[in-house]
Amino acid sequence: MKDRIKGVLAKVFEVGTDEINETSSPDTVETWESLSHLNMIMALEEEFGVRLTEEQMINMMDFESVVKTVEDAVADNG
Amino acid sequence: MDKLKLVADVSLAEIKDVLSGFERGSLEPLKISVLRNIMMEPARPYYEYLGLLCGLNVEVMYGEYDNIFMEGAGGREDLLNENTDCVGVFACLADMSPLISNSFASLNADEVEKEIHRIGEFINAVVNGIRKQTGAMILWHGFERPLHPSMGVLDYSMPGGQSVSVDFLNDGLKRSLRNIQNAYYVSMDDIKASLGAERFYDRRMWSMGKIPYSREGLMTIACEDFRFIRALKGKNKKLLVLDCDNTLWGGVIGEDGIGGIKIGQTFPGSTFYEFQQVALDLYNRGVILALCSKNNEDDVWEVFRNHPDMVLTEEHVSAHRINWEDKPSNIRGIAEELNIGLDSIVYADDSEFEVNFVSRLLPEVQTVLLPAARPADYSVALLSGGLFDTLTVSAEDKGRGRMYKAEADRKKLQSEIGDVGEYLKSLEMEVSVLPADKVTIPRIAQLTQKTNQFNLTTKRYSETDIQRFADSDESDVLCLRLQDRFSDYGIIGAAIIVCSGQEAQIDTFLLSCRALGRGVEDVFLNACLDRCRSRDARTVGGKYIQTRKNMQVSGFYRRKGFEELSSNGSETSYRLEMNNAQREVSGHFKSVIVEL
Repeated sequence: MKDRIKGVLAKVFEVGTDEINETSSPDTVETWESLSHLNMIMALEEEFGVRLTEEQMINMMDFESVVKTVEDAVADNG
Repeated sequence: MDKLKLVADVSLAEIKDVLSGFERGSLEPLKISVLRNIMMEPARPYYEYLGLLCGLNVEVMYGEYDNIFMEGAGGREDLLNENTDCVGVFACLADMSPLISNSFASLNADEVEKEIHRIGEFINAVVNGIRKQTGAMILWHGFERPLHPSMGVLDYSMPGGQSVSVDFLNDGLKRSLRNIQNAYYVSMDDIKASLGAERFYDRRMWSMGKIPYSREGLMTIACEDFRFIRALKGKNKKLLVLDCDNTLWGGVIGEDGIGGIKIGQTFPGSTFYEFQQVALDLYNRGVILALCSKNNEDDVWEVFRNHPDMVLTEEHVSAHRINWEDKPSNIRGIAEELNIGLDSIVYADDSEFEVNFVSRLLPEVQTVLLPAARPADYSVALLSGGLFDTLTVSAEDKGRGRMYKAEADRKKLQSEIGDVGEYLKSLEMEVSVLPADKVTIPRIAQLTQKTNQFNLTTKRYSETDIQRFADSDESDVLCLRLQDRFSDYGIIGAAIIVCSGQEAQIDTFLLSCRALGRGVEDVFLNACLDRCRSRDARTVGGKYIQTRKNMQVSGFYRRKGFEELSSNGSETSYRLEMNNAQREVSGHFKSVIVEL
């Protein structure tokens, strides 16, 4: 799942998949800003068939938390 | 290459893959400029993909957030020009009128009427302003009715309910658009209805990022816009080729006989009857009809000639291939016979096999698979793509675009006094130009640091720098203050003039984007020139230094009558002789105070 998430983020932020890793965040990825953050959420929701809450959306401020949030959301979907 | 899937069948990720893998440079360009007070950027990939589907290289440029008036009525050359093909306007009511949108119940009838009038003037000014700058097709997206009207269940029964007010606003909008050629109203309520409000909106995206719509909503809006765009580019389909069995009637004529097929005004023939009516309606709109059926010719014509419940007759059919050959060859034959390009043809059939076969061999033909088990859905399947939409004016000829612009230019004076002028007058603006002082210097410094667009030289100064300029005998710092009926905007313009002998140089000239579209720049420039004059300057020099964000003022000095001295690409120098007569400023300000 981590790789899939990496792929989605790489596509949204228009960088190579090798540039997305555990330390990635808006501070390290130049194209990760407020608008592309929302694009990322839309893309993740489409890719994994989940719907995130506002709280989850705010908590996804780096790669680690993105992975955790998506994993939780997928698990909740059952 | 595999035929591209319809936009409804493909995910955003796939769209991005297709877009990045496709060499679009060789396709015909289509430039879309968007004026908006909401975030619509997430819709861009859909527009680009829809463009690909009809052979267009779409480029979408978004205006600054909430700058509709500044860019539309005030002007913005890099966004609205003769190369623009389509201008999309998204003027969401929540931002245009917080009063009507959020505080409706607190307003009295007078206040509502005033708001409606104000917005009407705004729209007129912007529509005319856009047209002055470009002959592009304008697609103005209408206001959306409130989901839960302010007056609750009474809303429609009252003469002045919230929904009724939105309807009035949309009526005014439609009227304004009808006065201009090549400008169209796009019904957001209809788009919303096709999806349902829950699917159309995404309230999380609205609260987090001012994106009102869901992905699906954005996609559907793009699809609707593209109906107009395809029509504009002459990509509308001109010929509809129809299968016969289980398309124009239920059943197979060769097996069921004329008495056994289902076509009539009662169920089950009624669904096919209605579908034939749709085909006839298209015929009356100017679409050509043809038949392509695997049958004995006589059997088919017997139905056309002798069945009492047929809607279509022989005279509606311009060409036919009724035989046992393969459909792709037959359709090619029809195209040649009628001298119509394959990419102008729609083929509708209930058979997945035939549709796939035609799709594979004739990829330019648009196929529509009619849902075999649900004939009641045939009409929607055929009509939903807007494949046959035309605009009443064919704008294929770009020369026409220029003709509209020229007409608008000629009417310029009239409309300036009429629409824009009236609107600006109603704002009751008060402008003052003052020399910088202790109180205003911090704000002026801030403006030099933050202003990007209407900034001729983009020189960034600290408070100390500004203080130095203000203290020196050889330079002046001026600032501009604006207020109107609605708000006091404070200091929104700054200029620094440096004098040496009889030569003055405008080192800095900038305005916050809130000030634009109101003629304020003329007042400010005049004040600067007055200051130069009072210093006995003979010439005034100005520079335009290009940045990524200030393209809209690249022609500013030229427009104001300065002479271009030299240019090295990114930096252009201008000069003005001071013996030029005093310039006129439009009379729409309530007061102009210049203190030098």
